[in-house]
Amino acid sequence: MIRLGTRTPFALTTLVASLVMAGAAQAAVTDDDIANDQATPDDVVTNGMGWRGQRFSPLETLNSDNVERLQPAWAFSLGGEKQRGQESQPMVKDGVMYITGSYSRVYAVDARTGEELWQYEARLPQGIMPCCDVINRGVALYEDLVIFGTLDARLVALNKDTGKVVWRQKVAEYEEGYSISAAPLIVKGKLITGVAGGEFGVVGRISAYDPTNGEPLWTRPTVEGHMGYVYEDGEAIENGITGGEAGKTWPGEMWKNGGAAPWLGGFYDPEIDKLLIGTGNPAPWNSHLRPGDNLYSSSRLAIDPDDGSISWHFQTTPHDGWDFDGVNELISFDYEEGGEVVKAAATADRNGFFYVLDRTDGDFIRGFPFVDEITWASGLDDNGRPLYNDERRPGDPREGGGEGESVFVAPSFLGGKNWMPMAYSQDTGYFYVPSNEWGMDIWNEEVAYKQGAAYLGAGFTIKPLNEDYVGVLRAIDPRTGETVWRYNNYAPLWGGVMATAGNLVFTGNPEGYLMAFDARSGEKLYEFNTGSGIVGTPITWEMDGEQYVSVMSGWGGAVPLWGGEIGKRVKDFNQGAMLWTFRLPGQAASEGLVSR
Amino acid sequence: MGRTFRHVLGRCLSPLVIWLAVVGSAQALTEVRDQEQILAAGTLRVAVYRDFPPYSFTVEGEPRGVDVAIARELAADLGVELRLHWLAPDETLGDDLRNAIWKGHYLRPGQIADVMMRVPYDRDYAFRMNALGEVENELVHMFAPYQVERWQLAYDAERLDGVASLALFQHHPIGVQIDQIPDFYLSSAFRGRLNAQTHRYRTPRQAFQAMHDGEVAAMMAMRAQVEWLLGEADAPDGRYRLADEAFPQLGKRQWQLGLAVHEVNRSLAYALEDTIMRLIRSGEMARLYAAYHLGYEVPAMYRSLRAAEDAPP
Repeated sequence: MIRLGTRTPFALTTLVASLVMAGAAQAAVTDDDIANDQATPDDVVTNGMGWRGQRFSPLETLNSDNVERLQPAWAFSLGGEKQRGQESQPMVKDGVMYITGSYSRVYAVDARTGEELWQYEARLPQGIMPCCDVINRGVALYEDLVIFGTLDARLVALNKDTGKVVWRQKVAEYEEGYSISAAPLIVKGKLITGVAGGEFGVVGRISAYDPTNGEPLWTRPTVEGHMGYVYEDGEAIENGITGGEAGKTWPGEMWKNGGAAPWLGGFYDPEIDKLLIGTGNPAPWNSHLRPGDNLYSSSRLAIDPDDGSISWHFQTTPHDGWDFDGVNELISFDYEEGGEVVKAAATADRNGFFYVLDRTDGDFIRGFPFVDEITWASGLDDNGRPLYNDERRPGDPREGGGEGESVFVAPSFLGGKNWMPMAYSQDTGYFYVPSNEWGMDIWNEEVAYKQGAAYLGAGFTIKPLNEDYVGVLRAIDPRTGETVWRYNNYAPLWGGVMATAGNLVFTGNPEGYLMAFDARSGEKLYEFNTGSGIVGTPITWEMDGEQYVSVMSGWGGAVPLWGGEIGKRVKDFNQGAMLWTFRLPGQAASEGLVSR
Repeated sequence: MGRTFRHVLGRCLSPLVIWLAVVGSAQALTEVRDQEQILAAGTLRVAVYRDFPPYSFTVEGEPRGVDVAIARELAADLGVELRLHWLAPDETLGDDLRNAIWKGHYLRPGQIADVMMRVPYDRDYAFRMNALGEVENELVHMFAPYQVERWQLAYDAERLDGVASLALFQHHPIGVQIDQIPDFYLSSAFRGRLNAQTHRYRTPRQAFQAMHDGEVAAMMAMRAQVEWLLGEADAPDGRYRLADEAFPQLGKRQWQLGLAVHEVNRSLAYALEDTIMRLIRSGEMARLYAAYHLGYEVPAMYRSLRAAEDAPP
């Protein structure tokens, strides 16, 4: 039974009331707060701990000298019977933490005590079949609203003090296979969201809404041939066809249903004033049905936040035949070369290559493998286009060939890196990339059935490349392609990473540990068992003069769903739903200061 | 994943065919009812696909379709009431069996049916092993084939004289349901030369309507879907005709559909099988199909049984 609306425990009523009253004195989240998030460590009001998504905190109170004294401050259970796959990044503002849970739930928690202030559970339609599991990756904060996307592809805005619904907006039809799992993005007073959708027939799009009332502002399809629109006074006005015209990189009418769902959302770079958003794989999965590059599938797009027009694109896997996707985050950073500042952006793709682009125009600067084994391509050409190994493209099931003949591809379709965000340290200049070493066998099947129909299908199974580890946390120098250090993990890594000016790198693993590493050497300095697997992303902030770290714990997400030989490694991990918060006691911090 | 899932899953998870090697802990929460419990409860929960005419669908809230009609007979013979468990199709049949028979969908854990309709009766499929050497569908018993199904092409005789070869559809538009097998088939047949003339619709009914409106000259779907649409159509006799097309490289030309129950529920399966055999032998099954304009072909298993019974001692 799904509980509707909000629940405010009686005992907390007075507390909430006092918070509401105090709210007058507390500033709501402003555009300036969002723009300056990375530089203001007393709050976390953006997904990515800053517009660019670097997940780098300038705080150094907690550092590699004292992290061993980090202590749990409180933990909060999300409750309910259904607990799995907590991929949310917490947000903090004025002593309140906002998180989402799986199954389209939102919680506000007192950041000092861990006490619940309110909880909201979305009413989901009967018989809903979301494409992409039940996870959610977090909220957006704007003014006095807490905004998130639901499994049935809606945006819901809640009052930050009461959890009451202020507005709702349907982004896409859940019955057609659309869903939302990513955290929305606020840019220049606009709320930006993508959509998830796994079925053929889905067309990806990015949309902007007025965050104060949910009214649409613009929408941009991510498949060539579809018209984009801007809305004025509720009226849709044509704003150019994506890619100029239909049929340039798709055969026949295939562009009408091309996939390319931007399901992970994205980030914003204020210097170039562009949204940087990745797109999913093309549909259908059998690449032999759709010769051509299939734009803009498996790409990174730079999009004008004012009207949704596409400024440039970079396609990591043209004519994707391996389900690699191109949604992984593209993170802006600057570096010096020959005395000049290079305005770059980097991404670690599902396909196993790490790309450094010129973020002003999307030009390829360099690319290199960031995983140990890539079989589907022998490398990248001067423009960053893959040099395919044609024999490693899965065959056309209709060609037959019989069972038993399989193609081995590394990385697997779950990717050298999946959704879990990497971090960039402004101190070391390294990217800290949560990656996995796995491949997949793909073969044709003579017998397959779908909804009462027989067909020639394809089967696959995912395999670890090594007996003793799948996950690898890597420190990568984007200027050289060098892996400076690596940490091997038995289970696949599925949680995000954070770097701090305290020479620390944080991440969690499915085994349940929150871990801290020396950012320069990779030495593991701290670990704490949170009781269930970590597939969320840590944050850090400062409150009452002390530095805090928070992370969601709760195993789930895609890995346990896909089974195979990987499933054997993770089947005994318990699912769950806890929000953990850690604190460096003030005394430890000052001692650390002395010892430094 | 991408997939989609890919989604997956992650994505969105992928439209690739999956299997789950791990039987989740939710299984322990799922109550599989045996025949005694079903009789005591007075209800039989039967899983049917939703919005799937002519097999199972609703008209103004009333359940309709041949699978619904057969399900009524199954419940009646047990002396219990029918409870329909409407099922949204997942990516593969294996997913549907998990959602309907042995675990429940992850959004609705524990909500399962006692029996599922329209499950292939195919030994190769039923005993298929996964990469780890485990029988993929070991928790499911598949039995009692009640229908023979195949792919079918129908054309507008006002536009085409006949369909001598699929190559015709290099020049004439043809309608299919999106993301279904005829879509993939026509997209790639003849090295993709039919792709440009392949029009995709959300449902077979919309593909048929497009043929009715002159948008396409032909359509392709499962035979029962085509027969039902033609039977319901308000059109002069003979305007729409069935083509006798072999569909090279489409895999199975025909297959059989039956019932599925949880592997522990064999005695229930025997009772349900008795009903299917009664319906077939009495001619009632053919009448149920005829009510939806469908021809009925007795599955091979019963033809041989009948031959054995009819043989002189």
